[in-house]
Amino acid sequence: MADQRITITIDGVEVEARLGQTVLEAATEAGIYIPYLCYHPGMKPFAACRMCVVEVENGRGCPAACTLPVADGMVVSNNSNQVQSLRRSVMEMLIADHPHGCLTCHRVDLCGPQDLCLRHVSVNDRCVTCPKNERCELKDTVRFLGMSLESPLDYKYRDLPVETGDPFYDRDYNLCIVCGRCVRVCEEVRGDNAITFTERAGQALVGTSLGSSLLESGCEFCGACLDVCPVGALVESDHKWEKAQRLERTICPHCPVGCQLNLEVNGSGRLIRSVPELNSPANMGQACFKGKFGLNFVNHKDRLKTPLIRRDGVLEKASWDQALDYIAERLQPYRGPSFAMLTAPDSANEEHYLAQKFARVVMGSNNVNHTSNTQPAAVLALKDALGHAAATNPIWQLKDANCILVLNANLTEEHNVVGVPIKQAVNNGAKLIVIDPREVELTRYAHLWLRPRPGTELLVLGAIIKELLYQGFERRDWLYENCDGLETLRGAMTSSDIDAAAEESGVSHDLIHQAARMYGPTEPAAILYGLDNVPEELHEDCVRALATLALLTGNLGKPSAGIYPLRPGANSQGAWDVGCAPNLLPGYAALSDDDARRSLEEAWGCRIAREPGAGLQQVFEDARSGLVRAMFLVGDAPDLDNRDSGYALESLKSLEFLVVQDTFLGPAAEQAHVVLPRATFAEKAGSFTNLERRIQTLRPAISMKRGEARSERWAISRLARRMNAKGFDFSSAAAVMEEIARVTPIYGGVSLERLEAEGRLVFRPDVSNPLPTQVLYSDKEYRGIQWPCPTADSKGVEVLYSEGLRARIPEADFKTGRVEDGGSHPLLFAPGRVLLQSDREMTVEKGKANRLRREELIELNRDDAEAFGVDEGDMVEVQANGAAYRGRAVFRDDIQRGVVASTLLFGQLMVELEAAPAPNPMARVPGLKVTGARLVKAPG
Amino acid sequence: MTSTVETLRQRVNKALRSQKPETVTVLSCLLAVEDELGYVPRQAAEEVARFTGSTVNDVWGVASFYTNFRFQPPGRHRVEVCWGPSCHIRGVMPVIQRALQDLGLSGEGTTGDNAVTLRYNTCLGACANAPVISVDHRLMGRITPEQASQVLSGLKSTEEPSHGP
Repeated sequence: MADQRITITIDGVEVEARLGQTVLEAATEAGIYIPYLCYHPGMKPFAACRMCVVEVENGRGCPAACTLPVADGMVVSNNSNQVQSLRRSVMEMLIADHPHGCLTCHRVDLCGPQDLCLRHVSVNDRCVTCPKNERCELKDTVRFLGMSLESPLDYKYRDLPVETGDPFYDRDYNLCIVCGRCVRVCEEVRGDNAITFTERAGQALVGTSLGSSLLESGCEFCGACLDVCPVGALVESDHKWEKAQRLERTICPHCPVGCQLNLEVNGSGRLIRSVPELNSPANMGQACFKGKFGLNFVNHKDRLKTPLIRRDGVLEKASWDQALDYIAERLQPYRGPSFAMLTAPDSANEEHYLAQKFARVVMGSNNVNHTSNTQPAAVLALKDALGHAAATNPIWQLKDANCILVLNANLTEEHNVVGVPIKQAVNNGAKLIVIDPREVELTRYAHLWLRPRPGTELLVLGAIIKELLYQGFERRDWLYENCDGLETLRGAMTSSDIDAAAEESGVSHDLIHQAARMYGPTEPAAILYGLDNVPEELHEDCVRALATLALLTGNLGKPSAGIYPLRPGANSQGAWDVGCAPNLLPGYAALSDDDARRSLEEAWGCRIAREPGAGLQQVFEDARSGLVRAMFLVGDAPDLDNRDSGYALESLKSLEFLVVQDTFLGPAAEQAHVVLPRATFAEKAGSFTNLERRIQTLRPAISMKRGEARSERWAISRLARRMNAKGFDFSSAAAVMEEIARVTPIYGGVSLERLEAEGRLVFRPDVSNPLPTQVLYSDKEYRGIQWPCPTADSKGVEVLYSEGLRARIPEADFKTGRVEDGGSHPLLFAPGRVLLQSDREMTVEKGKANRLRREELIELNRDDAEAFGVDEGDMVEVQANGAAYRGRAVFRDDIQRGVVASTLLFGQLMVELEAAPAPNPMARVPGLKVTGARLVKAPG
Repeated sequence: MTSTVETLRQRVNKALRSQKPETVTVLSCLLAVEDELGYVPRQAAEEVARFTGSTVNDVWGVASFYTNFRFQPPGRHRVEVCWGPSCHIRGVMPVIQRALQDLGLSGEGTTGDNAVTLRYNTCLGACANAPVISVDHRLMGRITPEQASQVLSGLKSTEEPSHGP
């Protein structure tokens, strides 16, 4: 029924519409502009601003088009005198509170974009005092209505102080028209409720509880409210007054969600803002603090501008020719496994591909990897269990799941936008199960929060599986069709003991029972896993167990079900796909697969060694032991110093020859023999593959001023040619993708031209002058292609295994992993981070920027506390991972023996990030790592 | 954390848990808090948010919508002056002016020493005796500015309400 086509008439123009649409939606799609202020695509209609009122023939009164469902043969008038005069009187009331000199200025037609006039209006009303001057939606509406200068209503300036203390954006409620878009996006779309309507009637405004800062109100600084604000009330504090001259759509480099962002570029070619794209299947108009406020690094003055060569121990400037010649010469003796190549988490597919081709063809080494490949077992186990090493379903299908199980993932900081449909699902009534020893944002939404002792996650999964079988929730008919191994699993489970698992993990039998009852019979159910805190030796079995859960309940191959691995790195998925891994060739062909190897050898005209190269950890160990002596390292690799506390960086010192291509002179580059300046995501073409297998294009938005940063694609292909290699003559990223498509079956039908050409035009209301700001960002929809896409006429696959599945229930070994290091740090510290924590006293020091001061709590088990001689309320200090956390001890029943926990506030992280001296702090957001710890009583 | 804050949160929670209505909403919780404490402090808003599974901002949205909730502790005495039509006609304005002058207020509010909270009321329901004021919930009719002044000065010296709640 939703697709049933009907016809309505708007101002004499026949418009095709779908049943279920509103008049406003149908008009906008047809390119007819009905003015609106409170409506915003992607949110429920609110019908508060009354700007979209229309007349309907034979109808009563003037209904709001945003809530008026279309009906066949409806005749709508959008331009009649009655409608326009009604709208004008509504607007008169709106601008009685809103500075409007700029809107009704009599010079407005004479005024050019750069003109400043300070004479004709009062100080508060000047157009130059509004940060959204010329990009305000109120302006479009006023001009559409042809408002006169004189309003019969008295104008009252609210004269409120501008809130500038919070990180990243300013709030000027003098400009607010209380359309409620920000409040609704925060509640309806993001599920945060960090802002609210305050007071009522003429006093009504938007604000936080008691006017507190956003840091303590539960704001996740996603910037969604800024993106929907029609006026200048909410704006980014960086480049606040600048106007964009150009827009370019590209992909965010910070995480594998692959958010499409519109980068606003000013007249001098600098990136000034980023606005997430509404018509983007991966992010649906949403972004996070990283994508919204963490891209400034591309403009940073400290960026590397020229290549550097180390001479007599000092890095000296050099030209690209000199640097490449030098590298080509120095690399000669390291052909074979003594060479290693590591690409960056945000290298494009084409770059990952060229890097592995360079390592394998030119250097003859399988030591090729991407630095975000920290959980290889988690990827491969999924491939072994089901067939593909990738998420089975699209991210936004999670919205319609009825049960979601999240194992060990901190979405807010690491895969933020994935959390959005999860919260929406929960708000729509879906059940959420979180298995995590840390308290994270999602635990607030969870119906069941299983908090196992770190390292026992697998035991809990095993117990849930056993309980699920015991309760008879396995889908026998589905299993019979799709799956073998049920009896083997039953046999294996007979020996497992739920009570023993409950005892060891600290998760009660009752909770396990509830989890099985919740996940088992609920369809569709989805599973997400991060595993960043699960001991590495458990990864493989954890994934097997999760696959077993999905298989047993038949939650594969259908919408809103499936399994989503959440890995670090913006383009880790692409790196694996194109073979930038030590053990796999493009398209996941194993090195040991002779046929695959031979066909590649033929395509590349070289020999490929059969032995897999070293994994990420191993490469650094090999560097220390002298097996690897030369390395080409691309990118600012946060994992190198975050995860291993400098082990990897230290290992680089042992190398005989190190080339680092990076954007900044980071700790790795400082040790390099040659440093090459690296182009950022905003300067290059190519493609990323996001976590839902969606291949999307990067478009160069800016070009580097006074510098010669180049992409690694450029550098590697030139270097290869200097080393007399054949098959590196690529004129563009598209040419590389052509070759990828030839050798990678799952990418067979993909080309950059096709991705570009498949952009669907999203209708933009045709109001020639001025262009409505509302739809500035939505001219085209690029859906990308979700692999596997073997041929040019294949559309890609939205849901994997929907054509049927033949799998075997994987056999998992339900064991315990080891996290604690014993000895001096006998406890485990499980740090958490949440948006909102109003159960404790907090003060915010208001200054130029707000500073948070609050009491920290150290949560521990009563029995542990007794053993340490700690009373509830004592000040204690946890020493973990080289840092000390002080707080007041509180006893919690859900904390297992041997574990201490503390929950940090997200706002504190924001304050730290904003003040961080590093040029790109967002790439190094500290993870929440469970580590060994010890507890001491603190004085006072 | 001081113990007074803990008691405050405890008191709030007790009030929240002993609500009579079957349907517990943010609004019913706020009313329970107002009944218990006489005002809604920040900590109470936080506890209501936890109790109802909403955020402090949601609670604030509801609380600030209704003019009857107060966010500062009330004065020791509560004086309401009726300015409904009857009282208006029978001359309450001089009474209000005198009261404001005596209390050092410019409108509704609480005196600096927290002795008296003055509020306007649209009708105290005793029009026959207009103008009417209510002092600690005790009605006083046909009041003159001088009588009002006398009553107020009496309030400043007494510590607790002399009449019921």
